[in-house]
Amino acid sequence: MLAPAVSLACALLLAQPGNEAPVLHPPTTPLPAQDWHAPTVCLRLPPTKNVPSGEWRAQCDDTAQVCRVSPLRELDAEGVETDRLQARVTTCSIAFDEETAERVKGYRMELARAAAPPGWYRDERGRVMQFNFDLNRRVWLGGAWAPLWHDGQVQGRMRADFGIAVEAPSQRGKRLHRLRFLETELHLGVPSLDLTAARYDFSVERDDPLFRVTTFFGKPRRHDLHLNLGLWMETLRVEELERGGEVGRFLTWGTLHATVDLWHSKDLVSYVRVRAGPSFERDYANGFNTFVPGAALEADLTLDRDGFHHLRLGVEAEKVLLAPAVAGRPLRPERLRLQAGYEVIILAINDQPLSLLVDGRGMKRGDITGVPEQWEWSASAGLRFSLWAPARRSAPMATSVKE
Amino acid sequence: MLMLGLALLLATAADVPRGVPDDDACVALDERGERYPICFDPGDGFVVGTRMRLSGSAMAQAVRTGVHIRSGRSSRSKGSPWFNNHRLLGLDAWDGEQRGLTFTAYDGTLRRHLEEGFILVPTARPARIPFPFDVTVALRLGHLERRVWEGPGWTLETGRLGLLLDPIRAETERVWFGVGPVAGHAVRRSREGVSHTVAPFTELMFDAGLESRDGLWALRASGLAGWSIGIERGLYFRARTDVGLERVVLAVADQPVVLQLSGAYVHRDAGLARRSEWTANVGLAVRVFGAR
Repeated sequence: MLAPAVSLACALLLAQPGNEAPVLHPPTTPLPAQDWHAPTVCLRLPPTKNVPSGEWRAQCDDTAQVCRVSPLRELDAEGVETDRLQARVTTCSIAFDEETAERVKGYRMELARAAAPPGWYRDERGRVMQFNFDLNRRVWLGGAWAPLWHDGQVQGRMRADFGIAVEAPSQRGKRLHRLRFLETELHLGVPSLDLTAARYDFSVERDDPLFRVTTFFGKPRRHDLHLNLGLWMETLRVEELERGGEVGRFLTWGTLHATVDLWHSKDLVSYVRVRAGPSFERDYANGFNTFVPGAALEADLTLDRDGFHHLRLGVEAEKVLLAPAVAGRPLRPERLRLQAGYEVIILAINDQPLSLLVDGRGMKRGDITGVPEQWEWSASAGLRFSLWAPARRSAPMATSVKE
Repeated sequence: MLMLGLALLLATAADVPRGVPDDDACVALDERGERYPICFDPGDGFVVGTRMRLSGSAMAQAVRTGVHIRSGRSSRSKGSPWFNNHRLLGLDAWDGEQRGLTFTAYDGTLRRHLEEGFILVPTARPARIPFPFDVTVALRLGHLERRVWEGPGWTLETGRLGLLLDPIRAETERVWFGVGPVAGHAVRRSREGVSHTVAPFTELMFDAGLESRDGLWALRASGLAGWSIGIERGLYFRARTDVGLERVVLAVADQPVVLQLSGAYVHRDAGLARRSEWTANVGLAVRVFGAR
């Protein structure tokens, strides 16, 4: 444990002319890292060939009589300091405490890497890079090859997608709010557009049980039934698609679903849930409004601590009610959708993740006039580039992950 | 004139160190000891101007207005600087035989600068591959073109989004050069009806700018070429490029008055009929609140 008692002070005094200069010990492999939470002092040591400025950051441990020091600036490929200050470091302080400075003069000076904030990694040259990404907070742009199997034929399609995802936990971390804006999928080849202006939902971990049941067989026992009820809503969803020369055009004014989390992770980010409720829609190809109850079972799972692997599954059913009779389609058409997708970050460009997305989808719907109700299937493989994507709230320190 | 301006601009840009000049260097004192600005920011201000527009053999008078905002910020999530240029509510209208206008609700570039760009390969021990580019997001929303002389109809580019790579990676907002793919959607309404086209990153765009340290000279060039796909049918190739040079010639009440020279060429993309045409412009504009 690095003792905060040894404030920096050693700093400038160590550099005083006449003081006995401390000796830097040769680096060990792997290079140890400083502690992100420990106080750091700015330290001036005699110039060396690799660090001619003599400016260092130090964390000292009184008990072990050791100071871990790292150069104030990044190093080049030859290990010589550049003019770039290390990025994303805590501020190092300067204080004048003669007593402390005198004491640490005899401490062992060990080379170390400066600490990096949670979710970031710093290499031996002091360069910092993000290794943990929150894909639930991002602006994404993507493209994919997404062929469609419909009516016994395979048709080539391309997909462009876009969206803005925001997530915010409540203060106590018992509720997680999710927002999506302008989530868009545009297919070319067999044209279709699916755009949702805004979507909101939340997951909650309730402290109080919805019911409690006490049994009196033998020793009385209490059984708590927790039900994490939440809400899911969206507004202004536009769906346009063309099948066999016929066109369906739908505008959802609003959807309101109740959700029940069957399971969610401790941080509420991953979940398996069911949701159900009504929506109000306009079929603007036929010119009338409809009432559409629906239900879904869906899962969104972040599979690893660093947010690289994501699995999304969904089964959804809807029934279109209150629609006038239209020749060429059922009076109460149904829609069924299946979806399974996997997204993995393959690399990051300037700390912005680039991910590979593969998914498979199935759909059966009878609401397009003149198109018989039948299953159609599609598969896709493509890339997504994400802007923003900060480190996850649960991001660990690099030292505990990579070393 | 254009070449002379470019040469002067390059000379002044190369002579000075990077960064914004000191406040004192941007202010001069008159005989009475009163201060007045001598540096200006070409990326800031409310712009109103008039100019002569030559297209083919037709000469016309034109007006131009718009709001330019330049901002810089440090990313909280990444801890690196952004250099942003925003242009809002840009209107360009011209009279004459070929009367028309363009209006752009928003046109901006947002460049994230890294001193040492890289690609991270997420191996157990993260590997870092040099990637010597800044990434720029170029966004344009609501660009309307109306040409009265072509008859009823208009062209509206609802949105265009580009991901550009900038190899210059300047540590200043005064120099940039981004090139990269663009996605966009446009709709044309004419007598024949409405047609939609999309470009799913099938077009390539560049955007470049160079400004002198004191902001008296500014050069900007941009271009776009590639294919857009008709939702109903068709594949359309188009290309366009424009270059503009500005020189602050005087300041009235500390607001810079700018001489503007510009030229543009459009290949199969002008108006409803997707014409090819070139234009040249010369004019004056005042950039209110453009002092640095």
